[in-house]
Amino acid sequence: MTTSSSLKTALVAAVLAPVALVFTGCSSNQVRNVDSKGPQALNTSGINSQDWANAADQLVGSLLSSGALDKVPNPPAILAVDRIINNTQAQVDTDLLIKKIRVALSQTGKVAITNTMGLGERAVVASEAAELDELTTGKKAKLSTPAYTLYAKLIQQSDRINSVTQNTYSFQMSLISVKSGLTVWEDEREIAKQSKKAVMGW
Amino acid sequence: MNSPQRLLVRSLLAAGALAALSGCATNVNTVERAQPQATPDFVADKRVVTDNTLARTVRVNAINQATVSGNLLKVQATLENLKNNPRNIRYKFEWIDQSGMAVNSPTETWKTLMLQGRETTMISTVAINPRAVDFVLKLSEYKE
Repeated sequence: MTTSSSLKTALVAAVLAPVALVFTGCSSNQVRNVDSKGPQALNTSGINSQDWANAADQLVGSLLSSGALDKVPNPPAILAVDRIINNTQAQVDTDLLIKKIRVALSQTGKVAITNTMGLGERAVVASEAAELDELTTGKKAKLSTPAYTLYAKLIQQSDRINSVTQNTYSFQMSLISVKSGLTVWEDEREIAKQSKKAVMGW
Repeated sequence: MNSPQRLLVRSLLAAGALAALSGCATNVNTVERAQPQATPDFVADKRVVTDNTLARTVRVNAINQATVSGNLLKVQATLENLKNNPRNIRYKFEWIDQSGMAVNSPTETWKTLMLQGRETTMISTVAINPRAVDFVLKLSEYKE
């Protein structure tokens, strides 16, 4: 083998080695854990984990600041979760919002959420358990009547100008007094997200 | 001054004026009561700056607190954009109990906020747990 041929081989190897490394890097599946509510969470045109938490935080803050829950004679106020209407284009589990609100309100100690009616996640089991209790003890179960019901609606409005699309998500929530049927608190929070379509299609 | 020099000076002046005008385009003017009726309960704060660029861009003017719903702490921070252009930031409130332990909440999250040029705005949050007695407000630059 001549000196020039060895040099050529070394040069080709030097060029090919980084290329091979790049391709190896591309083929590997890189996974990392991120805080779902942290800055590294993906921001998409849909409602992401931060948006749910943000909406829940603002609605809970508004509800607690209103003092509406303090007007029951025997606290904690018993709350039943009513329908959650999802009028967005996304098929989302509304518990992403409602569960956060339920947990937050429960932690305040001002609210007890009933599971024997409404959209309580264990409503069926709770009702069956109450029936079984009636059968075994022979005593009629004494269920607490809710003081309030909570109703929510999610709405999406999409606007588009040229390549920019704006999705505005409205989170509407109302607290209704069972005794009077009156809305004692309601609020709406909006999150608007703009996305721009890339000029190149790939 | 000869003609090319004059042209250069004019161009520079025009460019400066254009830059100044475009910079002011998003600034916010405000009008408020000369003698405010509100009597906020201001909180004496301690600040730790690790991002000098952010500290020179967005300033926390004041933090005040109130008690809502009987025993829940609410804090409000007044933020000011010190620059002429809109700025995006992230912020997060964290709560701490009497023992210095963090009080976690499912609604605690980083939030994004856009401040217009020279705008002053208020951000607030309510502690969902009566055990919360202290708070930490975290601010960070938001880079898209």
